Amino acid sequence: MNLNFSEEQRQFRDSVARFFADGWTSGDVRAYGRGEGDDRALWAGLAELGFHGALVGEDHGGLGLSFVDLVLALEEFGRALATVSAVETVVAAWLIGRHGTDEQKRRLLPAIAAGALRIAIAHQEAEAGYDPDGIATSGIRTAGGYVLDGAKILAPHAQGADCLLVSARTDAGLPAIFLCERTEAIPMARHATLDPSMPCFAVGFPGHQLPADSILGGGPDAAVLRDMADACAFAAAAMATGSAAAALDMAVAHARTRVQFGKIIGSFQAIKHKCADMAVALDAARSAIYYAAWALSQSPADAPLAISMAKAFCGDTSRMICNESLQIHGGMGFTWEYDLHLHLKRAKALEAAHGNATWHRERVASLILQAKHNGSAGL
Amino acid sequence: MDFSDTPAEARFRAEIRQWLRMNVPQENGRRIAEPRDEQARAAFRLEWERTLFRGGWSGIHWPKDYGGRGAGIAEYAIYLEESARADAPEGINIPGRNLVGPTIIAHGTEAQKRRYLPGIIEGREIWCQGFSEPDAGSDLASLRTRAVADGSDYVVDGQKIWTSWAQYSDWCILLARTDPDAPRHKGLSFFLLDMKTPGITVRPLRQITGESEFNEVFFDNVRVPAANLLGGVNQGWQIAMTTLAFERGPEEALARQVRFARRFEGLLAAAERTGFNGRTIASDPVARQKLAQTHIELEMMRLNCLRGISRLTSGQQPGPEASFVKLYWSHVYQRMTEVALEILGPLAPLSEADPLSADGGVMQHEFLMSRASTIYSGSSEIQRNIIAERVLGLPKQ
Repeated sequence: MNLNFSEEQRQFRDSVARFFADGWTSGDVRAYGRGEGDDRALWAGLAELGFHGALVGEDHGGLGLSFVDLVLALEEFGRALATVSAVETVVAAWLIGRHGTDEQKRRLLPAIAAGALRIAIAHQEAEAGYDPDGIATSGIRTAGGYVLDGAKILAPHAQGADCLLVSARTDAGLPAIFLCERTEAIPMARHATLDPSMPCFAVGFPGHQLPADSILGGGPDAAVLRDMADACAFAAAAMATGSAAAALDMAVAHARTRVQFGKIIGSFQAIKHKCADMAVALDAARSAIYYAAWALSQSPADAPLAISMAKAFCGDTSRMICNESLQIHGGMGFTWEYDLHLHLKRAKALEAAHGNATWHRERVASLILQAKHNGSAGL
Repeated sequence: MDFSDTPAEARFRAEIRQWLRMNVPQENGRRIAEPRDEQARAAFRLEWERTLFRGGWSGIHWPKDYGGRGAGIAEYAIYLEESARADAPEGINIPGRNLVGPTIIAHGTEAQKRRYLPGIIEGREIWCQGFSEPDAGSDLASLRTRAVADGSDYVVDGQKIWTSWAQYSDWCILLARTDPDAPRHKGLSFFLLDMKTPGITVRPLRQITGESEFNEVFFDNVRVPAANLLGGVNQGWQIAMTTLAFERGPEEALARQVRFARRFEGLLAAAERTGFNGRTIASDPVARQKLAQTHIELEMMRLNCLRGISRLTSGQQPGPEASFVKLYWSHVYQRMTEVALEILGPLAPLSEADPLSADGGVMQHEFLMSRASTIYSGSSEIQRNIIAERVLGLPKQ
């Protein structure tokens, strides 16, 4: 057991953080949210760092890293409010590397590693809730391949993607993930959402034709959908934790300088104790995502429980920290001009994505009771 | 970063697990329950400490020169995990092993290490911690028990309070004022005091559980040799801070975590066999939310401890970070017991002695015990001040 991050792992985090410090300012975030800027420079800078290929094996031109190597950098994504598109692309690369056919890996992974392929995930449906069994989109076998029928919502960055990962049920009712090239034939409409810097799209598949080799892994497999949902939930938890860390830093910086009643407000216990509770909660959230990262890369049997714990805990924690930070800032925290609301909104959007805390807690309850009956210690 | 055991750690885990299987006192395949009588319980726990010593498992992470095995802190963590998992009895010399030993290792003279550490490892000498006073609780530095130099001795007069296991203790780490004129943090000294010295009176205090773990201790003209000073005269505050960092630290907390997790397993079992109106507690959606949250928090407690232990392994000294661990676990503990009593619903008031109690009264007792956890070893309010001032850099009041 050694839970310290290595020098290389910290350096990777630092290089991503350094790039964000100049390459993706809150001004960029705001312009992007207004639809006035784009994230092409961000994307290119990350490609230079090899970020997109972080989880792609070296045989396909990637860095051959694991989620453990990546988790600190994912926190920086949250801290910088960087576009989640790159992260979803990394998750997709991991999923393809894990489940894809050799041909799919050869076709997609080198392009992803080079930063030449942007992938978006289209999974959520309006009436499905978070339950994977609730997916109604169908992918039915035809003579020439498959036809996708259904409607997805809240697919982040789908408009600018080259390729979509689409969850659907096949003929036998088994779930599958379809690799779907983004074409003009796929209707998209941008949602009005809480966090404009994370543009989300409704995506329609009205009898959309796909070639025969479109299923990730070659055939339907519930494990692929589960892994995709789990990896997305993990990444959202890690990014929400980064946003919470930024919100805590802002609260502490404000508390150290703001003067009221002739004193620095950080000297008041009412403020100190809030900050301490936020710091403790943030530290525990880090425990959650580091363990989830390890389980995802090293101990897949532990991953569902580890990830559900992390998503539930980090959702609650990021919400608490952003709320408390706003409270400490007083009126300033409520203004449009001040950056805190960008984190408040990003954390809230991530909290709702890929299973909220309530959904993941129910999954935790199921998993621990199951483990108890299977006689596995596991706890 | 790797959560799994190295091959050497795995071997160590198998070894301690095997030893525990053979040595934890059992009857009909279950661990013998601790005696209800407090004196008998103390004897039972002390006997376990001696069993540990005979098996070579006492003070394993202490240096070999003083009777330890020189094991790393990761092995020690494994030892704690496995002991709690095997439901091994709790010892009674908890201050001795967790606070006094490490403090003496850090600050003692060679002679002091040779004199005191073997007694702790062998379960021969039980220690208590004489810090708090009736008028010096959270404001520890205001303590008034004084030690006045007299020849080659100091003469101690005053009173300590909340002194756990003092009635069973052979020795006491005593924080006393040796220079009443110095600034309050700079006039304190740290003594190793023989509890059999004339002039010491121990009076047990009854706790809200009805038990008497803690005590008042009175000192009337008690002579302690100057050789029993730990560290220099008037350096007691810094040494006491080391003791508190050990007390609040992740190794201490990890052992608690595994015990809490066992209690939680018991609660899950109770939730599955207990129900109302034809539905078990474990199938009620609201109860499931609360049980899941408790499991998550217990896991965060475990992971926090393991991360803390890893930092210590890499050479970081125990410091204010210990307050993160202590503040977190003490509230997790309280919330767990509150969840338990809430989901047990109308059965919650039934105590251990009542046959209809859903969990043998375990969580009710833990609910009461856990009230103390946010007070002892520095209240939550003090921990928050430490974190805010010494970790986050917020100004003092």
